[in-house]
Amino acid sequence: MEPVKTPFNVMDSTQTEYSGTLMVEDEHELASGERVMTLNMGPQHPSTHGVMRVLLKLDGETVIECDPMIGYLHRGTEKLSETKRYAQIVPWTDRLDYTAAPQNNLGYVLAVEKLLGLNAPERAQYWRVIMVELSRIASHLVWLGTHALDIGALSMSLYTFREREMIMDIFETFCGARLTTNMMEIGGFSRQLPDGLIPQIRNFLRVFPSKLKEYTDLLSANPIWLARTKGVGVITPEAAISYSLTGACLRGSGINYDVRKADPYLVYDQLDFEVPLGQFGDVFDRYLVRVEELRQAHKIVTQALNYIENDDRPMMAYESAYVMPPHMGTMTTAEDMQRHFVWVIKGFSAPVGEVYHAIEHGKGEFGIHIVSDGGSMPYRLRLRTPDYVNLGVLPHMAQGAMLADMVALIGTIDIVLGSVDR
Amino acid sequence: MTDGENQTTQQTLVPTGTGWERELYFDDDLSKHPVVRELRAVFPDDFLDAVRFRNETTIYVNPAKFREIAFYMRDHEKLQVNFLSDLTAVDMLNLRTAPRFDVTAQIYSIPNRIRLRMKASIDDGMSIPSLVPVFNGANWMERECFDMFGIFFEGHPNLRRILLQDDWDEGHPLRKDYPTRGWKDYPVYNKERTIRRTKTRWTGRGV
Repeated sequence: MEPVKTPFNVMDSTQTEYSGTLMVEDEHELASGERVMTLNMGPQHPSTHGVMRVLLKLDGETVIECDPMIGYLHRGTEKLSETKRYAQIVPWTDRLDYTAAPQNNLGYVLAVEKLLGLNAPERAQYWRVIMVELSRIASHLVWLGTHALDIGALSMSLYTFREREMIMDIFETFCGARLTTNMMEIGGFSRQLPDGLIPQIRNFLRVFPSKLKEYTDLLSANPIWLARTKGVGVITPEAAISYSLTGACLRGSGINYDVRKADPYLVYDQLDFEVPLGQFGDVFDRYLVRVEELRQAHKIVTQALNYIENDDRPMMAYESAYVMPPHMGTMTTAEDMQRHFVWVIKGFSAPVGEVYHAIEHGKGEFGIHIVSDGGSMPYRLRLRTPDYVNLGVLPHMAQGAMLADMVALIGTIDIVLGSVDR
Repeated sequence: MTDGENQTTQQTLVPTGTGWERELYFDDDLSKHPVVRELRAVFPDDFLDAVRFRNETTIYVNPAKFREIAFYMRDHEKLQVNFLSDLTAVDMLNLRTAPRFDVTAQIYSIPNRIRLRMKASIDDGMSIPSLVPVFNGANWMERECFDMFGIFFEGHPNLRRILLQDDWDEGHPLRKDYPTRGWKDYPVYNKERTIRRTKTRWTGRGV
């Protein structure tokens, strides 16, 4: 039997020098006379969404084994958090999933509030919901653009980044930053809402449904898109549960688990929205689930904004000892000035105990596990990022897949390497 | 807006008085908690303790039976603890003398919507049964745990470093006795100032 021809120069197995990122490392003889080829994909491959390296063993064009290698972006956030006070850690969470910084902020802040036994005022909770759902839309838009770009629909990213820009502008109006927002604070929001924010959100809500229709018109019935996504990367419901998948990867397989419904936090139990479920668990179903989540997020923001628009109650839990006193009090009264000084210099001492709080991130369940020894810094802070766990299913999905489908499989998990590597 | 309509969609209706009601999972009396009750009856020697804090239940189990108890809870007809949210460890070096590590698994029951934390304490150098036969998702979590703490998981198919490089020789960074900057000297770029800085157009000084 003729050996499989490869487009590359097959190197001698005794030779150890590497010459590029895409190359053949070694070759083995199978019993059938065919050869297994080891192919290195990444870390600078454009469709790995960052720096991830995947080692593939190929039988012809079929992947027989796949080994994702991560950690190129490991910054040791968990170790660093043990040397930072509780309020200082919020900016670090921005850098995890940098396409959805408000959601990371929220997960951390809610975990700390649970540890402290603190509740943010209702108005702040609604504004948190609005910002988090906008951020979910932004995160899904980045995913939709890049995923379609990987598979071959180049124009998709131009469309989605156009609407993402509007959300980035809303974030800039709200907190001054676009990407790493550092938006949430322990106890609520300490600043007043800026002028012009609500008309800006209204404008986005007005134009977004027609834009969403443009995306689905472009993709949902596109024969090339259907051929590249239908029946590819199927995850059975049993495998999805066993591999601890969350988010659209789990719901695409038909398992109804959404933290917003199953374990409601903030005011999600007072909002009307639905959890979309997939049927076959392939790449196309996960695409449909995420597109429907865009629609539901739009619905949630509309409801929350209608409810809270004309509210002028306080946004910060100032009656608590764990938050920084109001600016006016700091400048006028001695007690508040002392509290402010202590809060800034020493922080606050959290109760002894441990909590785990999970939120529904755009990519899945984002959990924070805090162990407190009673000091002003967490004794141990564990970041359970959804894409790290979801990426663990890639070797399972890739077994028996075609080499050309690997970019679709990596894209459908929706990874951001800052969040995978932490 | 609807008032609580969507909450009841997932809730299973259990007849009262059967001992499996959802309220019992959150009862102040921990002995009524169905998981605690079942494990006390089936594993009397290996179920050590149960703690409630902020409405979260933590159970402490014997590390030798870590996998067996997870298997039992997963396959139990009523408990159905079928989802591993997270698996990690805590280095208790500064809090107690022995044992050193707490291996912590956040487990969840998707049908019952109950979250639970299972803990087992092991000493440095000891190993703990791997949860990979129970939950495939434990594979990468345990690899990270080994990478960061140096805890060995018995029966893990592929226990090697994941976030750090394979030949990392400086130990396990999340241990409490590991310095934040690492054991080796921190490389400082241009320490002797041999590379001259460029003057900027605006200030006339080096940046």
